[in-house]
Amino acid sequence: MINRVIRLGFIFILLILLQVLFFNNIQFSGYVNPYVYIMFILLLPVEMPAWLLLILSFFTGLVMDLFSGTPGMHASASLVAGFIRPYVLRITSPRDGYEPGANPSMLVYGLKWFLIYASLIIFVHHLVLFYLEVFRFADFFRTLLRVILSFLFSLSFIVLLEYIRKGK
Amino acid sequence: MRNLLNFLSKYNNLLVFILLQIIAIYLLSTANDYHNTQMVKGIRAMTIGIEKKVSNARTYFHLHEISRIMAAENSSLRTRLERLSGETEKLFFSVTDTVYNQQYTFTHAEVINNSVNRQKNFLTIDRGRQQGISPDMAVIAGDNIVGIIVGCSDNYSVAMSLLNLDFRVSARLKSTGYFGSMTWEGSDPSHAVLSEIPQHVTFGIGDTVETTGYSTIFPEGIIIGTVSGFEKTGGDFYRIGVSLSTDFRRLRHVTVVGNLRKEEQLELENQYQ
Repeated sequence: MINRVIRLGFIFILLILLQVLFFNNIQFSGYVNPYVYIMFILLLPVEMPAWLLLILSFFTGLVMDLFSGTPGMHASASLVAGFIRPYVLRITSPRDGYEPGANPSMLVYGLKWFLIYASLIIFVHHLVLFYLEVFRFADFFRTLLRVILSFLFSLSFIVLLEYIRKGK
Repeated sequence: MRNLLNFLSKYNNLLVFILLQIIAIYLLSTANDYHNTQMVKGIRAMTIGIEKKVSNARTYFHLHEISRIMAAENSSLRTRLERLSGETEKLFFSVTDTVYNQQYTFTHAEVINNSVNRQKNFLTIDRGRQQGISPDMAVIAGDNIVGIIVGCSDNYSVAMSLLNLDFRVSARLKSTGYFGSMTWEGSDPSHAVLSEIPQHVTFGIGDTVETTGYSTIFPEGIIIGTVSGFEKTGGDFYRIGVSLSTDFRRLRHVTVVGNLRKEEQLELENQYQ
């Protein structure tokens, strides 16, 4: 149990540093801003109570906000991601359900499962995040394009990070 | 009471979600008032330690480039000094009043936080109220435009970058002197748009676009970029694409420009408006 908490804390710090020091500085045109910190919410244990999940997602977003000077933006988007996670887990549940104490990771349930699970959450998160950032519906389709492109990049990086974890 | 408790236990997750979402939206909307940078300032104070370390490390890798720019600036200043000292000898006057006829003040500052990939980009510089910086001063890099100071703490200031959907500046074509309004479109950090130039004006690709000095913030003739393309829009105006001459991605050393006669001009203008 304690081990698990320490491991998650380590992953959290690593992801935030990766996001702040590396991904926030990435610049392929104005359309692609990958956000990989959302991976932390993906990796939390399946059985975690929903209220704790919500508080942790909110906190994760808030820490990101501190580093990007946009109070509330990431917090709001991550919170939505945390809120829909239990529903997404239910939809993507394998035939014989999740094992007790399981981590929702690619190592256990395979690439295909992980892709569906991660895509749903990352896409909703990006959708909320980018529209909150623009805060107007004037350039609706341009923003949608940014959402889709950034989503593809975030997903690729997160799957890549899962492979690195797997290799370790 | 029992029903209420039942209700709470049934929907407690939804309630936690709504409560936290309200906090998030509240934060977002209070910080959304760009000229009220109080929120951003408070948070910057917390993360500024880390940012400073990162920024120090980056400066180290750019030392070569920086020394080149400094040398170029030195030589241009020395040329100017030489020219001025020649003139004073000729005209026989000695001035001890250092602000005699001076309109602009220049303060050097270093960028310690910057972004180009958001829709509303801001940058933080390491000079503040104690160094004489105040809101509405202009920020330039060399001769190129950067942004406008929007908030100051004692030792730091936050400036709205030109790469911000809310940024507007009066700009003109250097060749003809016709002026219009300059904005950024939110997608490409090296391009902006100059609008409101009437269609009878002739100009070519590569023409320089510079500030007009009408706004009391920017001095006249600060370079914004060059014309990279144009199209006709309804209402007899051109929409001119401008390729920015400032590279916002590697901004390190900037100069803050204050206008000493701003109050005088604004006061006079207000009397007639």
